[in-house]
Amino acid sequence: MSSAGTAAASTSSAGDEELPAESQTGVDGDDALVAARITKRFGGLTALDDVSMSLRPGEVHGLIGPNGSGKTTMLNLLSGYYEPTSGVIRCRGEQLGRATVQRRAAIGVARTFQQPRLLGALSVLDNATLGGWSHSRAGFVATLLGLPSVGTGDRALRAQAAELLHGVGLGHAIHRRANLLEHAEQRFLEIARGLALRPRFILLDEPAGGLTASEIEHLGGLIRTIRNAGIGVLLVEHHTDFVFRVCDRVTTLDVGRMIKHGTPTEVRTDPEVIRTYLGA
Amino acid sequence: MKKKSAALLVVGLLAATLPFWAADQYQLHLAALIAAFWILIGGLNLVVGYTGQLSIGHVGLLAVGAYTFAILAGPEEVHPALAVLASGGLCGLFGLLLGLPSLRLPGFYFAMATMAVALIVGEFIMANGDLTGGGIGLAVPSFPAPFDSPAGFYYLVLGLAALVTWCTWNVARRMWGRGLIAIRDNPVTAQAVGVPVFRAKLKVFVFSGITAGVAGAVFASLQSYITPDTFVFELSLFFFVCIIIGGRGSIVGPLIGTMILTALPELVAPLAKLGNFFYGLLLLVVVLLVPEGIGRVFEVIAERLRPRRIESIPVRPDLDRLTRALQRPR
Repeated sequence: MSSAGTAAASTSSAGDEELPAESQTGVDGDDALVAARITKRFGGLTALDDVSMSLRPGEVHGLIGPNGSGKTTMLNLLSGYYEPTSGVIRCRGEQLGRATVQRRAAIGVARTFQQPRLLGALSVLDNATLGGWSHSRAGFVATLLGLPSVGTGDRALRAQAAELLHGVGLGHAIHRRANLLEHAEQRFLEIARGLALRPRFILLDEPAGGLTASEIEHLGGLIRTIRNAGIGVLLVEHHTDFVFRVCDRVTTLDVGRMIKHGTPTEVRTDPEVIRTYLGA
Repeated sequence: MKKKSAALLVVGLLAATLPFWAADQYQLHLAALIAAFWILIGGLNLVVGYTGQLSIGHVGLLAVGAYTFAILAGPEEVHPALAVLASGGLCGLFGLLLGLPSLRLPGFYFAMATMAVALIVGEFIMANGDLTGGGIGLAVPSFPAPFDSPAGFYYLVLGLAALVTWCTWNVARRMWGRGLIAIRDNPVTAQAVGVPVFRAKLKVFVFSGITAGVAGAVFASLQSYITPDTFVFELSLFFFVCIIIGGRGSIVGPLIGTMILTALPELVAPLAKLGNFFYGLLLLVVVLLVPEGIGRVFEVIAERLRPRRIESIPVRPDLDRLTRALQRPR
């Protein structure tokens, strides 16, 4: 169900790390997930004010900022839960204006949630396999009638999910009911489910929340591996040390405005970022 | 898993040989009634037990199926087999028309909408006497040979019930089953992985309409005479309670629920006197003691007696394996 349209030859985007926000949207065009000049208002509250950013395949892009700065709003816009008040979201050149959340899955945009949203009644394997929904070609009637192709396809998706689970370190819990998982296991299962979408981009909403130091190390390894597989990772996170360690680029928001965008070093040393967010 | 299939085999054998060991015609009639109810409840189970849509109006669909069959196979002299198909088809369409506006409503309002439809169908049957016989009712023809004997008819209904069970089992164990449970337990997750929530609900609801229509046809033929009083609203609640008592997200549980709730009051005379009180009491006991449903009652007891300790193993990603898993083509 790969309906993301043309994978046109990329008008490459290497080496323009330093460009300001507006011009950036122009260069990322063809293979990136782009938010161009996004404003989002909720009633009188402006959650995002003319913010542009992009997520390229094979990069880790950190999105940081104080509480209420609009990080999660941006993530919800990119994943289709909200519609921008103005501005456009593009994926690989295709405008996603009113494309629903369900369509994002088919286009290849996966996400995880701040509070893990698992199906406690199902096994870990079933939870991860569900992520492959958009790759299942089984219609409802074909499934009812038990057509052989339905079984074949289902087994393949289960096998794929099982591999991913072993990869993220949940091999030991594969047949356990998901409501019996510990916190870190839940977080990693969410990532496995997102990867079962075979996404081009995965948006992680505070994946390090509640993890121990060693678990965060493992998470970092996962994120790098996902990036090296050519997937773009958006990392919305409070844990700034972690963000600066794993990200290729970092965008900082404050009360709905972008205050700095650049490499981790640039962002970390920016006086405005230090003043509003990092502290002295 | 093996224990389950063995149990299923035993139940299947018992059901298939019932005409040879049943004590009397009445028991056979009762078994056919259970099978007819299960045709409906099996389909409804996908709506209520899996998708979590609380339809309490399926008696309306049962009535439409029953009257369609009675009118077509009776006065219109259509072949009963075609009349059954027509009942199923019409109720599928009816389900579509009912589901389109109502399945977008949140749980409680959806339940109210389905209840309203059940009540309206009853009134419609009363009001259109020249078609439905009004309060006097309609005689329902039986099926032609070899289904005209009690045993023959029992096998027909049993076959249809087995077919429905098989269909729902196919759904439950595949991607659709996971998607439906996601709609029930976490719609946000369902959306995020790409499940088309409304359309999936609608498809399942239409399927439950078809099974309700088929159930109505064989139920009517089994009753041999139907009036609006055959389709009281309590019957709708009965279907619903069978599923809740059996347990959500299970097929065997609601099947056991259907058998117990249909057969016990008939076989144990004192329970029949209690009537709805019996259903109410059983519902209360199950919801309070085993909210997972009677389908899992042994599992739950076993777990209470001997709680399984889960060893805490720290997650340790295997990044090479992850890399390989990610290298599949989109």
